[in-house]
Amino acid sequence: MENMIYAENLRKEFKKIIKEPGLKGAAKALFKPKREIITAVDDISFTVSKGEILGFIGPNGAGKSTVIKMLTGILMPTSGVCRINGKIPKEDRKNYVREIGVVFGQRTQLWWDLALRETYAVLKEIYQVPDEQYKKRMAFLNEVLELDDFITSPVRTLSLGQRMRADIAASLLHSPKVLFLDEPTIGLDVVVKENIRSAIKKINEDEGTTVILTTHDLADIEYLCERIVMIDKGKKVFDGAISELKHNFGDVRTLEFELTGVPDFQLLDYSRHFKMKENDIRAELDGSTVRVRFDTSKVSVEEIVSYTLRTVHVKDLNIKDVEIEEIIKRLYRREVSL
Amino acid sequence: MSRVRRFFRTYKPFTRAGMQEMIAYRANFICFLIGEIMSAFIMYFVWKAVFLSTDRETFMGFTMEDMAVYLFISFLTGYLTYSDGAFSVGEEIIDGSIAMRMIKPCSFEMCFLFQELGSRIISVAMIFVPMVAGVEIYRCAVSGFVRFQIGAFLLYIVSLLLAYMISFYFNVCYGFMAFFFKNLWGTTLIKETVVNFLSGAIIPLAFLPSGLAAVLNILPFASLSYTPVMIYMGMYSTSQILWSFGLQLFWLVVMFGISKLIWRGAVKHLSIQGG
Repeated sequence: MENMIYAENLRKEFKKIIKEPGLKGAAKALFKPKREIITAVDDISFTVSKGEILGFIGPNGAGKSTVIKMLTGILMPTSGVCRINGKIPKEDRKNYVREIGVVFGQRTQLWWDLALRETYAVLKEIYQVPDEQYKKRMAFLNEVLELDDFITSPVRTLSLGQRMRADIAASLLHSPKVLFLDEPTIGLDVVVKENIRSAIKKINEDEGTTVILTTHDLADIEYLCERIVMIDKGKKVFDGAISELKHNFGDVRTLEFELTGVPDFQLLDYSRHFKMKENDIRAELDGSTVRVRFDTSKVSVEEIVSYTLRTVHVKDLNIKDVEIEEIIKRLYRREVSL
Repeated sequence: MSRVRRFFRTYKPFTRAGMQEMIAYRANFICFLIGEIMSAFIMYFVWKAVFLSTDRETFMGFTMEDMAVYLFISFLTGYLTYSDGAFSVGEEIIDGSIAMRMIKPCSFEMCFLFQELGSRIISVAMIFVPMVAGVEIYRCAVSGFVRFQIGAFLLYIVSLLLAYMISFYFNVCYGFMAFFFKNLWGTTLIKETVVNFLSGAIIPLAFLPSGLAAVLNILPFASLSYTPVMIYMGMYSTSQILWSFGLQLFWLVVMFGISKLIWRGAVKHLSIQGG
């Protein structure tokens, strides 16, 4: 498969001036600033094939947005190369951005005081979309993002969910080959999130648009992506299919026991019984249900079940599938090493 | 040719957007305009009092009639060449929202420029024509014959356009000061007052001591207001007009160059500090 996005040894350092506290510190910083170099992105390499949706995840401050900003040509890498759609972003910004779409969930690219429809008319001219294509495109975007209800309202009066849909439509108006989405579902309710997810999926399937997506909502990832790249503290910690992640770290399982009497819970002490660390086995009570999460490489499902049945009265038993969320949580907490 | 057409096609929507924004905030615009016109009239009455208190017909070569024309045309010129479209550029770099401009296939200052032109078109329609007509009717009523000269008027328009472009790039440079001051409100007040004085919008430069006037005439500020007004009034000879056009062009190139330099530095800053 052809590579749409190619990044090699991307590195970004920021200079930060350290200010000491107080007025004296401020004066000192003014005349003799103490600088510190922060490496936000540390030698990251990856590729994205044409038509792929790549999920880009990592805890806050991991460097996700910085990578997106380098790929979109907003920031210049300190070292390393990125090539998107055969172009190097910094070399010819105006021509490069013509073929990409970008959404930053935290900012808007719409004109605050214009009616939404006017904003699209402005974008039509900027990207030189022919009339016929523009009409078709607007009809399509209306259909997948349901813009009709608010297309005549000024952007400043839109709700967050409406604004985000409008922003995504704006980034797609010129049928970009690559779509960069930086937290497109941030702060949205479940219904709007689903609406946006299915729109992204539809555009990817219908037009073969390559999508790179950062998010904190793992449901986005599970619904949209086959493959994820995970970064932490500027370094890539995982790059592969979601199924691979589950396979490699799928040893985290969850069992649910419904108890007949609630006080029974106190009789259960998994970590002491199996002599395991709190991190490897965790039990919690939810109503009359005990939920046990544990690492199957350290203790088997059978052992957990038999211990529980021996100790308390169990009405029902449920073995849950591996959840990606659980794996990632543990990765973020650095309980699993890669 | 097609490149020029493409250029205008790309930026034309910004002009339309500027016009729409102006209409969206029409109450603000009208109040601002009324305030400005009132201050022009205050200046008129102040000068009238000055002229009434002397026996002389002329004051430093200006009759009362000249003074009135000077005041209103310089008010009009100042109003039309005023530029704050690019003020936000510094703030946008600090808070990172400049990123939203960088992902669009257009040039930054052209976006600002064409957007501001949109609001200027509305200003011209609303005040330029009535104001010039009013001044000419006044001149005609006082002197008894038509004083309007199409040649001087056309030269004035050329000078006005140059003045606007100088003002635009000057204010692009000024907008970058937000880097250092975080908020430009206070410095803007100072800048406006200083520029108003230096550009002859308050007192004609001819009234100042000749040494000072000569210096101010060469500084870019005279090009903003004084030069076009003097051309309108027919106070300049052909050679003076040519000289001042040259000077205006010179300052335009200088301001353009400085703004480009600062922009390059600013983008580097963005890259160093993070967006």
